[in-house]
Amino acid sequence: MHETRPAKITSDVVTLNDGHLKAMPLLLGIGVIGLLASFILSMFSSAGGSAFERFSFIYLVNFCFVLSISLGCMFFVIISHLTRAGWNVTVRRLAELFAMCAFPLGILFLVILLPVLMGYDFVYPWNQSGWSAHSIEQAEQIAALDAAAKPPIEQLKGAYLNPMFFSIRAIAYFLIWGAMGAFFLKTSLKQDDSGDVILTKRMQALSAPLLILFAVTIVFSSFDFEMSLSPLWFSTMFPVYFFAGAFMSGLITITLTAMWLQKNGRVTDEITTEHYHDLGKLTFGFVVFWGYIAFSQFLLIWYANIPEETFWYDYRINTTGWGIWSLILVVGHLFIPFLAIMGRTARRNRTFLAGAGIFLLVMHWVDHYWLIMPQMDAYGHVFTFNPLVDIPCAVGMIAIYIAIFCFVAKNRPLVPLKDPRLGEALNHAVH
Amino acid sequence: MASVNPAIDIDNTNEEPGTRAPLVLGGLDYAGVTETVCAPWEAENPPKIWWLILAAALSLLLVLGGCVNHLLMKGVGVWGNNNPAYWGWPIVNFVFWVGIGHAGTLISAILFLFRQNWRTSINRAAEAMTIFAVVCAGLFPGIHIGRVWVFYWLFPIPTEHLAMWPNFRSPLLWDVFAVSTYATVSILFWYMGMVPDIATFRDRCKSKIGKIAYGILSLGWTGSARNWHRYEIAYTILAALATPLVLSVHTIVSFDFAVSQLPGWHTTIFPPYFVAGAIFSGFAAVVTLLVPARALYGLQNLITLRHLENMNKIIMATGMMVGTAYGIEFFIAWYSGVPNEQFAFINRAFGNFWWAYWIMVTCNVVIPQLFWFKWCRTTPWFMVIVCIFVNIGMWFERFVITITSLCRDFIPSSWAYFHPTGIDIMMLIGSFGLFTTLFLLFCRFLPVIAMAEVKSIMPHGDDHH
Amino acid sequence: MADKNDKDSKLVGLLAQFDDPDSLISACNEARLAGYKAMDAYSPFPVHGIDPAIGIQRSLLPFLVFCVGFGACFAGLGMQYYTNAADWSPIFPGYAFKISGKPLFSFPANIPVTFEIIVLSSAFATFLGMWGLNKLPMFSNPLHRISRFKRATNDKFFLMIETKDENFNRSETESQLNQWGAVAIEECRQDLTDNQLPSWVRLVGLLGVFLLMLPPVMIFRNMGMTSRSPRLHVVPDMDWQHKEKTQVLSPVMENGEYLFTDERAMRKPVDGSIARGQLEVDSEMYRGVKKDYKAAANSAKTNARLVSASIEDKEDAPVEPDQADQAEDVSMWMTQFPEGVTVDQAFVERGQQRFNIYCSACHGYDGNGNGLVNQRAMALGANGQAQWTAAKSMHDATVKDDSKNPLGRIFDTITNGRNTMGPYGAQIPAEDRWAIVAYVKALQETGIQPATASTETDGADEEKQTDADGGSDKEEKTS
Repeated sequence: MHETRPAKITSDVVTLNDGHLKAMPLLLGIGVIGLLASFILSMFSSAGGSAFERFSFIYLVNFCFVLSISLGCMFFVIISHLTRAGWNVTVRRLAELFAMCAFPLGILFLVILLPVLMGYDFVYPWNQSGWSAHSIEQAEQIAALDAAAKPPIEQLKGAYLNPMFFSIRAIAYFLIWGAMGAFFLKTSLKQDDSGDVILTKRMQALSAPLLILFAVTIVFSSFDFEMSLSPLWFSTMFPVYFFAGAFMSGLITITLTAMWLQKNGRVTDEITTEHYHDLGKLTFGFVVFWGYIAFSQFLLIWYANIPEETFWYDYRINTTGWGIWSLILVVGHLFIPFLAIMGRTARRNRTFLAGAGIFLLVMHWVDHYWLIMPQMDAYGHVFTFNPLVDIPCAVGMIAIYIAIFCFVAKNRPLVPLKDPRLGEALNHAVH
Repeated sequence: MASVNPAIDIDNTNEEPGTRAPLVLGGLDYAGVTETVCAPWEAENPPKIWWLILAAALSLLLVLGGCVNHLLMKGVGVWGNNNPAYWGWPIVNFVFWVGIGHAGTLISAILFLFRQNWRTSINRAAEAMTIFAVVCAGLFPGIHIGRVWVFYWLFPIPTEHLAMWPNFRSPLLWDVFAVSTYATVSILFWYMGMVPDIATFRDRCKSKIGKIAYGILSLGWTGSARNWHRYEIAYTILAALATPLVLSVHTIVSFDFAVSQLPGWHTTIFPPYFVAGAIFSGFAAVVTLLVPARALYGLQNLITLRHLENMNKIIMATGMMVGTAYGIEFFIAWYSGVPNEQFAFINRAFGNFWWAYWIMVTCNVVIPQLFWFKWCRTTPWFMVIVCIFVNIGMWFERFVITITSLCRDFIPSSWAYFHPTGIDIMMLIGSFGLFTTLFLLFCRFLPVIAMAEVKSIMPHGDDHH
Repeated sequence: MADKNDKDSKLVGLLAQFDDPDSLISACNEARLAGYKAMDAYSPFPVHGIDPAIGIQRSLLPFLVFCVGFGACFAGLGMQYYTNAADWSPIFPGYAFKISGKPLFSFPANIPVTFEIIVLSSAFATFLGMWGLNKLPMFSNPLHRISRFKRATNDKFFLMIETKDENFNRSETESQLNQWGAVAIEECRQDLTDNQLPSWVRLVGLLGVFLLMLPPVMIFRNMGMTSRSPRLHVVPDMDWQHKEKTQVLSPVMENGEYLFTDERAMRKPVDGSIARGQLEVDSEMYRGVKKDYKAAANSAKTNARLVSASIEDKEDAPVEPDQADQAEDVSMWMTQFPEGVTVDQAFVERGQQRFNIYCSACHGYDGNGNGLVNQRAMALGANGQAQWTAAKSMHDATVKDDSKNPLGRIFDTITNGRNTMGPYGAQIPAEDRWAIVAYVKALQETGIQPATASTETDGADEEKQTDADGGSDKEEKTS
């Protein structure tokens, strides 16, 4: 029988301890340089479209990548309260902080949103008429038509996919996410001072309605941000697919952040192998869930073989470059991690789990790249991968994201100090 | 001899954060748990009401048997199936029963993996219910194939005179594999979980026949620590296998519909949406069965209000997932710009079968909202009413999906209306007789609650739990 | 007691009882530290923390299951490949059959079954592996003879130290167990006199095995033999029915002659018989022919048509269509709607609906003869891939002309078809056919002209088609 630990924080350092003050300028610097470099290099990228278009697309990939991490963490917080979970209290604060980052990300979205409002179709083809065409010539013909003479499909979808409504929705998502993130973070921080049980009860009570709100926003934001890149294509499964990847990446980010903090002498005592083991199990579960959703969506479209739907996959499977990319995605996002973190020993080994986590995050990035980039040149079927453009942008965006995290975290405690279920989490053991 | 405390409802639904509400009430110790669970089994005669329900169930079973016989003699024309509604009530009933059959394995497997301790009191009965529901489910496609006596053609058995194999590219064949695998694994899981409890029965049994029967069924179980060690690992592995399996079953059932090109059937969200609906209806069925069962057998101290409340919360959550899926389907039907899709959904809500659609929405989306109120989800008689509505709604969901789309396909000249026949109706009612009979026999002869598992989550000594 | 049983039984170990799991664990820890290895604890539920206390190694079961599952993956895929794609095997060849446009071996479509096979095999591996490693079922266990041990499945906890342990010493071990807090200690003895199965069990078992082997042996024996007796039909499967199939020879009588002299099994209805509900005496309503029109006084064609509508015709009186058409007497057709129908807005709308369902595929929604089927067929025809006579336009001058094409004649066209157009009488009830007639007249009244380019092309094609047919049906074209 193991000894019961008292419900007390024993680590010496439970905050970033001013580390963020040093890190933030550096990270912001890397971020700005990375994004600028990517923008400049995209001018020399030959693959279809203008430099603006090339840059906007890779920017959207990286934006969706970091946004999905925040949304995954937000789900982690909500579901913890909904199920009155006790085991994960010590890692919940990290999730709360990452969830809060979703709101500042709204500012980064302006890079996409402003051109949309100005009427450019750098990323979202529906912003200029002619998108339903199958060739550039046809698109030009349609563009020349009067509004009333446009193809019916463009008129129909124009009611939903237009710059004004799109912007209103986008702003609403970020406001809702900001409010939800702030609610959980603020309430939890308040409990650090007072230890008031009523705060936990309040978060539990609100978690159910907030989950509904979260579901609605994630459904429509995934339609808007990613699915509408190919305005003709539609799949009811798409939000679930987006969610599966998001929650998986959120879990990994929590795991990796905790490991990194502990390596740097913070919250050393509160997060144990047991927590990593359980996070690893959940990650494993959602790797499989992602595979299940991805396969189901593909199978249904492949099997029914309706041209309205298959063109989306046809592009991603039967063109040079993208076919291999899809294969990498299937093998790297499903089979390799499935075998890698299936075993108990693998999940209890920190180094191994960290490696698997980084690998999966890369695969999650590959996933968003696969969702977004093929739409850049819908007529030419161009394989866009260009490390010179893509990697600086990714590095820059991730640096900015970490800077945002530092900004949100400040010197706030990285574990809930007086959560009533702290004892349960500290004594958590996998039987 | 431990005293068995009187069984009354104690409110253990309020859980102060930082403490965990007890899951075993009435001050029961280990022996008390054994006594409570064994008491109805050790009683000389089952309660009168048990006989009454059994008599009713057996008569319904007789009706079912008569209908099946009539069907085999006359052919599938005795059903209301027509052109174009080739899939009528039998398939609706199949999907309905398979859906109900999801809760048991979900409780045993997924809640086990998520370490939800409250599952221990309800998992046995839920697993039994699962198996009986799958039996009812298997009946319908079984007799739907027409020539039942050549059912083995469904399996890859080499035959010389036929020189044919099943077509593995057909989702209907995936169904055969999914449902039979699910039934098999559920039985293994159920039986394996029951062995320690059957050993308890063996050690308490008075009659000679009982001693032999339970002795054989318990396989000589002693409760050795070495055995428990492997047993627990095996249980975890089976849970880990059953979790994707339970998802796969209703996913594959949804493939039956969704791989087609029929508007209203072909939509990619079907797999998770069917699974959520299955869990929804399955939990509703568990609540419907357990509330009377706990009252009848005095199990209120083990199946507490907290257990019931938790299930009701899951019902509400999955109900809303189903509702969200209805919404997404409607939105995408509009957004797709495909006239057939748009028509299919408008037709569902306002076409010939509008009444079925609105029964479905009322029962599945509106009525479960009552569970937002604590009184509704902690009052046993009331939750049973809600859960019965949920099951009605889920039956209608399958009806709406199957029938409305088939009756309104692409060619208006082939549109038709569907009328069930008396045989259809009697078979559906009769299947409840089969289900109830099996469940009553289970309650009489096997351990209704997983005693060993309940004991393992009870606080003991100076343990911190 | 011990002395008396020494010859008949063997001491297996010492069983100590504890009342709660914690004292069991501490006793196990003590026993391990005292150097005991051959020991086991018994409890009504899995006690956590006991594995290290007794020194249980983690089981190999997960690895076993993984191997089985991994193998099942390939076995499942292999089975599907073999059965659906491999037709080269000499025995039980695969059934390579292209269906629903999928390749013979369709990887995505094979994943669900592969998955199920993996789960099924792994589940059996887990279930059987667990019992196998636990050496269960084992029904003769000396522990079951101890009445106290019955509480091991209820509420008591036991520790047994076995005699085979090298540190075991009857008295010393007992005192140690007492010291570690045992509530009671008992000897566990194996009965040596009663270790054989009762002879009747063996007999029944042998008999059972023998009886079970009979059916397969008989089946195998019969499989290798030829037989004159007919195949055994457990279920008749509609193999024998009291009927003659279509297009077969007449049954033969005992004297060797055909039952029916024309040697055909299929019979015609008796002359003049009419199926129930199909009397349709009202020629105006059902044939569009004027009631007072005298068939006999007119041409052979009309005669033939009228007769054929009600009575099966003689084989020897075929009517040449060309002659018939030339001889057509337009005056026979109704110029008004029959008495049974009321032409109002609802009626015309009904007609529109029926027209859109049945006619528009070829004739187009506006009646221009430019429906989708027509367009496609014309396109194919232009490539020489199909023979197709263009669908008629409702706005064609001859079609529109009431004197050449009165109402009754349109009705007749729908009912019996005309030229290459098929009959729709069987699909559309008479009232609806009249409704379509009304709608066709309404369409013509709207005055939509076949003015679009595509229709003109169609017209041109039609001409060409007619020429190709040799111009013999010039008359027919105007009908």
